[in-house]
Amino acid sequence: MELKEIKCPHCGHVNSPGTQLCQSCGLMINEDYDKKKIKDVMRYDGSAVRSKVKSQSIFDKIWIFFTSIRNGVIIIALIALAAAIGTILPQQYFIPIGVDPEVYYADNYGTFGYLYYKLGFHNLYSSWWFVLLNAMLALSIIAASVDRGVPLYKSLKNQRAKKHPSFFRRQRLTLNSDEITKENIDKIVEGLKSKRYKVTEDGPHLLFEKGRLSRWGPYINHTGLIIVLIGSMLRFFPGMYIDEIVYVPEGETVEIPTTDNKYYVKNEKFILDTYDKGSGSVFDKSLAMQGDLASNYQTNIIFYENLSSDVVGSEPDLKEIDKDEIRVNHPYKFDNYELYQSSFDNSSMKSMTFKLVDSNDKQIGEEFTVDLKDPDSDYSIDDKTDIQLRAFAPDFLEIGKKGELLSQSPVPRNPAFIFQVNNETLETPEISLLQIQNTDEITPNNEFKVKFVSMENEIATVLTLKKDLTMHMIGIGFIIFLLGVFIGSYINHRRIWINKEKGLSIAAHTNKNYYGLKKELNSVLNEHGVDSVNDKDEVEHNDRMKG
Amino acid sequence: MKKRTRNIIRISTILAIVVLTGITLWFNFTKDNATTKVGDTAVDFKLKSLDGEEFQLHEITKEKGVIINFWGTWCKPCREEMPDLNQASIEHNDDDVTIITVNVSEKPQQIDQFLRGLGEDMNLTMLLDPNRSVTKAYNIGPLPTTIAVNKSNKIVKKQEYQLTKEDIESFIEAVQE
Repeated sequence: MELKEIKCPHCGHVNSPGTQLCQSCGLMINEDYDKKKIKDVMRYDGSAVRSKVKSQSIFDKIWIFFTSIRNGVIIIALIALAAAIGTILPQQYFIPIGVDPEVYYADNYGTFGYLYYKLGFHNLYSSWWFVLLNAMLALSIIAASVDRGVPLYKSLKNQRAKKHPSFFRRQRLTLNSDEITKENIDKIVEGLKSKRYKVTEDGPHLLFEKGRLSRWGPYINHTGLIIVLIGSMLRFFPGMYIDEIVYVPEGETVEIPTTDNKYYVKNEKFILDTYDKGSGSVFDKSLAMQGDLASNYQTNIIFYENLSSDVVGSEPDLKEIDKDEIRVNHPYKFDNYELYQSSFDNSSMKSMTFKLVDSNDKQIGEEFTVDLKDPDSDYSIDDKTDIQLRAFAPDFLEIGKKGELLSQSPVPRNPAFIFQVNNETLETPEISLLQIQNTDEITPNNEFKVKFVSMENEIATVLTLKKDLTMHMIGIGFIIFLLGVFIGSYINHRRIWINKEKGLSIAAHTNKNYYGLKKELNSVLNEHGVDSVNDKDEVEHNDRMKG
Repeated sequence: MKKRTRNIIRISTILAIVVLTGITLWFNFTKDNATTKVGDTAVDFKLKSLDGEEFQLHEITKEKGVIINFWGTWCKPCREEMPDLNQASIEHNDDDVTIITVNVSEKPQQIDQFLRGLGEDMNLTMLLDPNRSVTKAYNIGPLPTTIAVNKSNKIVKKQEYQLTKEDIESFIEAVQE
């Protein structure tokens, strides 16, 4: 090839040496282009139109950048890499509730954890750069599809039955025969027609075509992907996707978040069933080897609607709508929401039970129970004795300047009590401070003593509230995607050209499965006493084998 | 493809993706920091006071500017600023301002205990927010948080740490402007 600039005979654009197709108009300017190839040289139909023209605006430059398959693959690789890194540490969704993620990742995973958090890997799907990568993928898919799909559509729409003899020579499957009668040629044509080929006739030139849909497979699956990407984008739009935790202690009624104060749910009872270890079933042995094994997590709920549409903070006017038992995988459904059983929590303290003893350690009256969330101030334990709760701190920190009990949080974690014992036999009431594992007498030489008996924990159910209006869209997107893959993979676009001007010339092309095309063609040919077609690949293969 | 059609397709596709990505990111960023800001309209609410009386914000703002102080008995700066707030409320009793405190989800026992320890007569309107519904509606983060709402229900000032006496005065000025 001479190293000379090539002037395009059509538009006059001067192309650099070695150019095959004019950079301005796409005309084939190198006459030798693909002449050396002997088979399967159907150039990408209409490829010349695609992006080969000089770019002008910034939009053209962006567009051309994204039409590149290489750039598309780089984007996909980056998304895959980010998604892979996102699985190394748990996502924010899975770390303990209420913990500051910045502290959590740094404390548990060191510098790597800190970087992980700072770069947004802890919340991968909503980190801005991941959203941006997906947007770039969408643009890449659309740009690449438009730039290849439109020329493909045009070239397939305007196919001509008449082809130059050199075209025939270049195809992989060919046949030339002068010894066939006209009658037989007609029979072959009929035979092919009966194989459900669409026929275009142009005098002695015939084009048989079927399975053109196959060529649209990639474009159909790209459409599916775009729908999936739009669906996942819609998840960010308000009201489209909700995934929230609803924490309900037993016996309490809470507002269901994101429903604008319209719905409330009450946890009537939380049930945790375990497998019976002595049931006599075949599992007894394995059950004996471990602790209790849960067989059922269940929350019995009452579902309420708030009839009052008053402002925030006002008392709700609750009307019972429904009762249900929420079990794992059996959510309660309302409107577009679902309430799932997620877990339970029995770590927080609910109440403490005490008894009063005299100096001989003999119990006086009955035990009494203090509710740690909302304590009563008086506890009468028998006719002569009552106990007053003078002060209470749910999470005891210290005693203040004025002798008051100070708490460091409102959560009952380290309760402290000041009890006053009033008894007919006492001249002055006795006062003492009780903490976990510690009692201090405030009045000296007390006769009576309040003693800790037991602690009861609160059991709360943890439900997850889900709403996903994008699911149908994402589902449809995936179905279209799979349909596209199927069409592109299993349908063959077969074309057969026949020239019956002089004898019979046949050339055949398919985008996949030459074996099938050959079989189909040969069955028609052989039926009418004609030899099988020549397969250039087979010839080459056989030559190599003889080698 | 005609050059014109081609340009229309290219430009509209690129712009559509840029706009949609922009909206998505905007939703994403505003989702987590939807805190109440100065300039926002104050959400109306109705809460009961420690004495069982019902108060509604927009009813009060018809006549006076309102300073809302979100607090808890377990929060030290809250405890420290409470006497100052009470004092200011007494001094400005005849001005166009009401100081309201909203206790975040504590039971009356704890509040009574705190007030007994304080040993002062409370001139403040002490409201209870047992379910945090108002606290959530205002996206209150740390305690104490103080918000000033003027007569046209606009939030004119906000502070997320302890108020000094001067701070309280400037809040009082702000709601009366």
